[in-house]
Amino acid sequence: MDIPYTVTARPDTGLYNAKVGIWLFLASEVMLFGGLFSSYIFLRVGADYPWPVHELNVTMGFINTLVLIGSSVTVLLAWASIKLRKFTAYKVYMAITIACAMTFMVIKSFEYRAKFTHYSATLTDGTILTGHLPHGFEIEFGGVNELTLTVAGRKSAVDADPVSYVLPYIKGDAPKFKTEDGKEITLDANSFAQLRAEAHGKAEAKAKADNMLQVPNWTIKLTAASPITFSFPPSKLLAKPALDAKSITFRDGTLIEGKIINDKMTLEVDGVDLRGTPEKDKSLAWNEHYLGSVWKNAFIHQRDEAIAEFNKEFNDGNGGTTRDPTKSASQQKKLFYMHIESATPAAHGEEGPKHSAEAHAPAEEHGAAHTHHPELHLERKDVLFYSNFTPKLNSYYAIYFTLTGLHGLHVIAGASVLAYFLIFDGRRLREDPEHMANRVEVGGLFWHFVDLVWIFLFPLLYLL
Amino acid sequence: MADSPEEIHKSIKKILWVGGLLVICTGLTVWLSFVELPTHSLNIIVGMILATIKAALVALIFMHLNHEKVIIYKFLFFTFAFVLALFLLFYFSSIDPLVFSQF
Repeated sequence: MDIPYTVTARPDTGLYNAKVGIWLFLASEVMLFGGLFSSYIFLRVGADYPWPVHELNVTMGFINTLVLIGSSVTVLLAWASIKLRKFTAYKVYMAITIACAMTFMVIKSFEYRAKFTHYSATLTDGTILTGHLPHGFEIEFGGVNELTLTVAGRKSAVDADPVSYVLPYIKGDAPKFKTEDGKEITLDANSFAQLRAEAHGKAEAKAKADNMLQVPNWTIKLTAASPITFSFPPSKLLAKPALDAKSITFRDGTLIEGKIINDKMTLEVDGVDLRGTPEKDKSLAWNEHYLGSVWKNAFIHQRDEAIAEFNKEFNDGNGGTTRDPTKSASQQKKLFYMHIESATPAAHGEEGPKHSAEAHAPAEEHGAAHTHHPELHLERKDVLFYSNFTPKLNSYYAIYFTLTGLHGLHVIAGASVLAYFLIFDGRRLREDPEHMANRVEVGGLFWHFVDLVWIFLFPLLYLL
Repeated sequence: MADSPEEIHKSIKKILWVGGLLVICTGLTVWLSFVELPTHSLNIIVGMILATIKAALVALIFMHLNHEKVIIYKFLFFTFAFVLALFLLFYFSSIDPLVFSQF
């Protein structure tokens, strides 16, 4: 059966059917993005932290905007080429459009990657340090002599699975264990399956003997031949360990006892944000074992310069300013946000070579002379919260990833439809070019909508 | 809808012009976002005006909404009514939040 009105207009609507269809679909899309934009507005108005402005890579966003505008133009040119029966030109324009879509996604993926590998650590006094974790963040826990595994009696969310949840975090060689009945084993999938079957058997026997309604959990104790040290990201535990934890529980319920050897987070700092710190000069970041007084002086210097510049620019002629510096978001950022782009602060010109020699001293102390950023070892007690730049960091990144992620899916969907037209619709192009022109017009309408959404996303997320 | 070859050629010219205009507007938006206007809200307002102009260009010229059949406008009328309703839902929930102080 043929679908009616693919080329000619349906008398009552005055349009070919696909066009009515795509507009109905676009209407639902407008409502979807309308709701998301509304949530953006209210998240922004209700934010209890300085809303990030120019925090994303503006150059990449700008290039992506041009790429999308370009593809919107070429998809129209592709449609016009069919109307003019220039089929080769149509194919070229369509291929350019799809190439633009791919370029957009590649650039976007670079932006996402940069955010996933960038971290923000909020200290207990509100200071935010941003940077990279060169070795990830791992807690070292040592002096462990015994593993306590719990085999669940019934189907349970937490069931011993040391092969996936415990063994990967042992430092050094695979250790030997002794079971309760004195057997010496190397813990692996096979030996654990055997242990588990034995434990289950014992639990079932007990349930039978005691007339229990359900099979109880059974614990297996494994004694290590020599003390083991574990090294794991905190996310691998059931709960965040206390600062002086004597025992920790892995996600599979396995309990180990020992002590924390090292829980410092190594951060290559590239920014200090003091906007949320009540006493900027006494921030934890200026502790000598962190950034120290050299960076503090650099910060004070930058702040004084920014204040002088602001007072000059908004001078009202009576010694005051025409603008309230506390109400200017960009001024607050200039005053209290410092980018760190070298291992040591740049020496201030007017203070001579003596100061610059001083400024270079701490670099060797931190052993960071080879990096471009100071490497800090943050103590866990000083860190309130840390995260990479993903939705959990704050509501700005939550809405950023939601909106751009959804938009990216639309780019992929739109480009797939256009690619289908280009690759698989060659016969229709030759035999029924009018129908093909209508198909491309409809695909193009969706593509313009994708562009239209980006037109709002780019300034809202990148610029304002 | 443009159908004759002359009209198509004319519309190609228009498409290229609008494309150029969109690029210029984008550059302007980026530049203005780095200019410190008296308040940041003003930056946002100016940025959004430019974005709306760009969106209007895309919708009117690229998506041919400047000469479309009545039924499409009817669809869009209802669409924006619903978008407004969605917005108001957020608005009402933000001016009348749940407060648990009375418990």
